Amino acid sequence: MATASVSTPLKNHHGIFSTRTAGGRMPLTPSPRTRTTSLATNTSNHSSPFTPPRQRIEDTRIVSQSAYGNVSSYFSRSVSRTLAHRDSPKSNIAKAKASPKHLDLGVSDWTLTGTGTAFGQTPSKSASRKKGPLRTKSGKTTIRLDAGDRFIPNRTASEGIAVAGSGKIDGENQRPKTSNGEGLTALANAVSAFDLGGHAAEDDATIALEGLNLDDDNDTTSYTKPPPDTLAYESSLATACGVSLNTRILAFKPAPPESSKPIDLRSQYNRPLKPANAASAQFRRRVLTAPERVLDAPGLVDDYYLNLLDWSSGNQVAIGLERSVYVWSAESGTVSCLLETAADTYVSSVKWSGDGAYVGVGLGSGEIQIWDVEDGTKLRSMHGHDTRVGVMGWNKHILSSGARSGLVYNHDVRVAQHKVAELVSHTSEVCGLEWRSDGAQLATGGNDNLVSIWDARSLGAPKFQKTNHKAAVKALSWCPWQPNLLATGGGSYDRHIHFWNTTTGARTNSIDTGSQVTSLRWSNHYREIVSSSGFPDNSLSIWSYPTLVRNVEIPAHETRVLHSCLSPDGQMLATAAADESLKFWKIFEKKPGSASAISREGGVTGNGGDMAKQITIR
Amino acid sequence: MSAEKDKSKVHKLSLKGSSKLIAEFFEYSINTILFQRGVYPAEDFTAVKKYGLNMLVTSDDQVKAYIKKIMSQLNKWMTGGKISKLVVVITSKETGENVERWQFDVQLFNKLSKKSSKDTSKPSGKENAVPTEGSEPPPEKTEKEIQLEIQSIFRQITASVTFLPQLDAGNCTFNVLVYADADSEVPMEWGDSDAKEIENGEKVQLRSFSTSNHRVDTLVSYRLAD
Repeated sequence: MATASVSTPLKNHHGIFSTRTAGGRMPLTPSPRTRTTSLATNTSNHSSPFTPPRQRIEDTRIVSQSAYGNVSSYFSRSVSRTLAHRDSPKSNIAKAKASPKHLDLGVSDWTLTGTGTAFGQTPSKSASRKKGPLRTKSGKTTIRLDAGDRFIPNRTASEGIAVAGSGKIDGENQRPKTSNGEGLTALANAVSAFDLGGHAAEDDATIALEGLNLDDDNDTTSYTKPPPDTLAYESSLATACGVSLNTRILAFKPAPPESSKPIDLRSQYNRPLKPANAASAQFRRRVLTAPERVLDAPGLVDDYYLNLLDWSSGNQVAIGLERSVYVWSAESGTVSCLLETAADTYVSSVKWSGDGAYVGVGLGSGEIQIWDVEDGTKLRSMHGHDTRVGVMGWNKHILSSGARSGLVYNHDVRVAQHKVAELVSHTSEVCGLEWRSDGAQLATGGNDNLVSIWDARSLGAPKFQKTNHKAAVKALSWCPWQPNLLATGGGSYDRHIHFWNTTTGARTNSIDTGSQVTSLRWSNHYREIVSSSGFPDNSLSIWSYPTLVRNVEIPAHETRVLHSCLSPDGQMLATAAADESLKFWKIFEKKPGSASAISREGGVTGNGGDMAKQITIR
Repeated sequence: MSAEKDKSKVHKLSLKGSSKLIAEFFEYSINTILFQRGVYPAEDFTAVKKYGLNMLVTSDDQVKAYIKKIMSQLNKWMTGGKISKLVVVITSKETGENVERWQFDVQLFNKLSKKSSKDTSKPSGKENAVPTEGSEPPPEKTEKEIQLEIQSIFRQITASVTFLPQLDAGNCTFNVLVYADADSEVPMEWGDSDAKEIENGEKVQLRSFSTSNHRVDTLVSYRLAD
């Protein structure tokens, strides 16, 4: 008890007494029973000076029905909170009738549960039942003690604890004793403890007492007031359990609305004050999902291993359609047929030179032709391959060609003995070939599921050979802003995009696209890469790098997208599909005012046709 | 006697303003707790300037209506001086366990003075009317000072997420309790409840603020990690 953090300050008791005296009833009424008097003296030995009068008052008030009803309603309420399991349907009815104050309190629930056992020792008559607890027969006193025992440790434990759950008892020394004297002693102890204690619960108690006082004032006319001592006792109890007597804990009963969506607290704690979606401006950028333009491409060979579409730095698109190569000028929109092959062969690949002046054409026969587009004349034919040339790539004056045999030749187009290197690595048809923009490395992919990375200075053997793909590798693309980053995409059985560090040979990232990857193109302006898909999606997907988030998926064609190429300004993607159409997509539209940080190989000059020629062909 | 009456009138007026201020404080507290503790998704909240801070207030219509319902009753009680505590309890939806309990204790300075005046009005009660020091209202504060005090409470609430255990996000709900005087009028939506204490909870007392009529103490208790 000494550790009580909650206690009733002295003034509260004074308040009680003043109330009592204000009502003109002094606690000096002689007790009708000697026993209680002795009790009073008994208790007066203990430190609380207020205990004895309380006893006497109680006794004198026995006849005062309403007062006891009132008291007991208070009391029962506090008791019932602790001893909620008790129930007594009988007694509470009488009480409710007897005490209008009880109704004022609006705590009939409490009364209903509380009184029965607490006053169980009393006779069945309601009046005497009310008397019962106050008369301090051993049984009742026990109950009080019980209550006291239950309350006091709670007070010690914590202020404002729920009374309902307070089963803990640590006042062992008092509990077993059932005599009135002992009970009063306990009470006196409790009271004195309150007196001694700090004023932590002062306000609770004060409010409680004040409420009691108010009640008294209201009731004086109709019936006698409850004995202040009892009130003091009850307030002590109430204080002890940290609950003010006339305080109710009310809960707002309706259930709160359900959360509208799952919550991730981690993101919440890092949330900027501005709306979060402002952060992902890159994600939010509007990607035009409708094609800018659609052209017919009749006779386009539906062959994954060919490369029949290319867009020059001079803003011209070359496409191989069966035996012919057509050139479509993006500026003027005019189409011209550049060449038509012999009847026994077909166009298997087209590739513009870096300056956009010449186009290399690979044929099914293994022949490679170089055409001057402006003049519309063939400059030379280069023989060497005896199988179809499915892919080609320019590095200044070097034209690399990959053939069905798995061989890759480098041709120096300036000299008569054009074949300057033979790159042996693939054992099956080469269908992907891409020079790095600085010409230092070459990546090739083949039907043998192999990706070979070559160092331009030593072409005797590939620098790295990557066997991660499980299908033919046609899609190859070098990152424009990170020279040693290569993206490769596998065929229908593989469906993955792998990202390689070509300096170390390490695989840095992977995406499972869910469908055949037919081509890959990095954006020049965004940290994004676009992939075109074959079966089953036939779509274009734009991926963020390095987050690998799919920003948008465009259902591009009705059948598999075979080829793709970027416009020289990097904003537009052209795709050719087996549905014999050529579509133009403005998927990398430049943000106004933001200069393109990375210029693509061959120079991004927009629609400028005045590119200085980087190579000369003899 | 008349002078006393006048005084009480003055009290009443300023009491009303003070109650309003505190009710408003409660409203923002509830919103802040709901936001900071992830009871509702962050996207449901919008920032408004209040107390010189960016306070986050729910913009979800349902939650808004729910809080409004609570507040309308709370305002009445506050004005009547009926409330001694407001408690926001965060409960696990799965186990029904109370995991966190934010308690705002309200002390009404006037109550004490009211009481003592009543005492003195009664004969021979003077001896018992003990001076109520310790609960005497503090010297008058400017609104600015009060706002600064409130501001620092909200800063503390915000900062408390650093030491509070991480809640099972999205799996919590909340309840509002008030400790009201027994003679308060209680509308249908409100019913008696236990205190919903945290068992073996850790308690951290946060800052307080006071107006000329009220003092509000803030306490958060939470379940200790096992």
